[in-house]
Amino acid sequence: MDLVSERLNVDDYDEAVELFYQRRWTDGLPIVLPTRRRVEAMIAAVKRDPQESLGPVPPKGGPATIEKLAINAVMGGCLPEHFPVVIAAMQAMMEPAHNLNGVLQTTHMCVSLVIVNGPVARRLGFNSRDGVFGNGYRANAAVGRAVRLALWNLGGAFPWDTDKATLSHPGEYAFCIAEEEEDNPWRPLHVERGCPEGSDAVTVFACEAPHSVFCYGTPEEMLHVLADSMCSLGNNNVHVLGQTLVTLNPLNAEEFARRGWSKPDIRQYLWEHARRPLAQVRACGVVHEQFRRMERDAGRYPHRYDVDNPTTRLPVTPTPDDIHIVVAGGRSYFAAVLPGWGGFGGFAVTRRIEWSS
Amino acid sequence: MELLSPVWPAATTPRPAKKRPASLGGASIALVDDNLDIPFTTHLEMLLTERLGAKVRRLVKPSGTAPSPPSLIDDAAGHDVAVVGIGL
Repeated sequence: MDLVSERLNVDDYDEAVELFYQRRWTDGLPIVLPTRRRVEAMIAAVKRDPQESLGPVPPKGGPATIEKLAINAVMGGCLPEHFPVVIAAMQAMMEPAHNLNGVLQTTHMCVSLVIVNGPVARRLGFNSRDGVFGNGYRANAAVGRAVRLALWNLGGAFPWDTDKATLSHPGEYAFCIAEEEEDNPWRPLHVERGCPEGSDAVTVFACEAPHSVFCYGTPEEMLHVLADSMCSLGNNNVHVLGQTLVTLNPLNAEEFARRGWSKPDIRQYLWEHARRPLAQVRACGVVHEQFRRMERDAGRYPHRYDVDNPTTRLPVTPTPDDIHIVVAGGRSYFAAVLPGWGGFGGFAVTRRIEWSS
Repeated sequence: MELLSPVWPAATTPRPAKKRPASLGGASIALVDDNLDIPFTTHLEMLLTERLGAKVRRLVKPSGTAPSPPSLIDDAAGHDVAVVGIGL
């Protein structure tokens, strides 16, 4: 196999790990060593030309070739069968709607979440149930970290440099979940977004870390709590719209479905109720107001909103469809909301996972 | 043990900076408007024009959170001075 990457000769594991630290080629954690054998196995799993590039990774523009992605996937702990998921996630993030350049460099704390859908999730052992945003599962951790390492090494947005995130969040190490599709009364996310039933796909969405929502009871009670959690004055959506993500656990979803609520019904309700009166939003200050006017001038507020009328109740997204809903987690009392970056980008993009025959 | 590098070698070579003009009076200035703080940018444009007598050309980026298109960068590079970003 023709590989073009610089070759590094080291004596042992310790020397290799320290070399990667010294050259700033890792995220702060030790890595799996990218030996030629491991990298070739990764590339062989997708049967693609190692020099095929998915495009430049912002901000520095290193080409995301299959070879470089494979090296970073090895470093993150991926097995060859994980690699198609990594490639699909990278392709999704590099779509213009996601504005990866902005996501990687904004002062906001958003990080691109990778959501895996389809039979691949069970087959490769992705966690979609208890502790879904947490640790303990190789597929979530390795795919999540491989993507982050590829962005780190090819895009080169480093904190204190071109990554201007004020605080960021722990998803910078790995931020990957699967949707629970078996214990779920509704169509999964990727099918809602146009993929065929039974297909494998990833959806990326740049968002804050999950914020806990004590969500239990009747649909109306759950919606009351969710709507309030979605429109806290500190999140960007209240000020500059964009998109937001709601994660319901399977018990929540079951209760909603039992009472006849579909996902579009929930979206509509949340869009109408997760709102703040303009007077409250205005009290946040002039900078917030300026951004809101920018959204208005860009035509992203529905025309009927008078953003100068203090009685206007501002939505958190331009339309109900900008509220994404995923079912994941344990059957318990908690849901989560994950506000987005706002109208600047980080929008959800779904991409089919391509398997080599 | 042989390993493979996860990065590309640095490919860029810095270009020499343009010579700074002695004064902004009469200088041609490209003011890249990043579309994020329009009142501030408008105020800056007024100061540069009215107070310093510069010839300002305002170049508006389609988005303040994405890189300028190459044509805009080329346009800005043709001026004596360019203001390429404003931090909030």
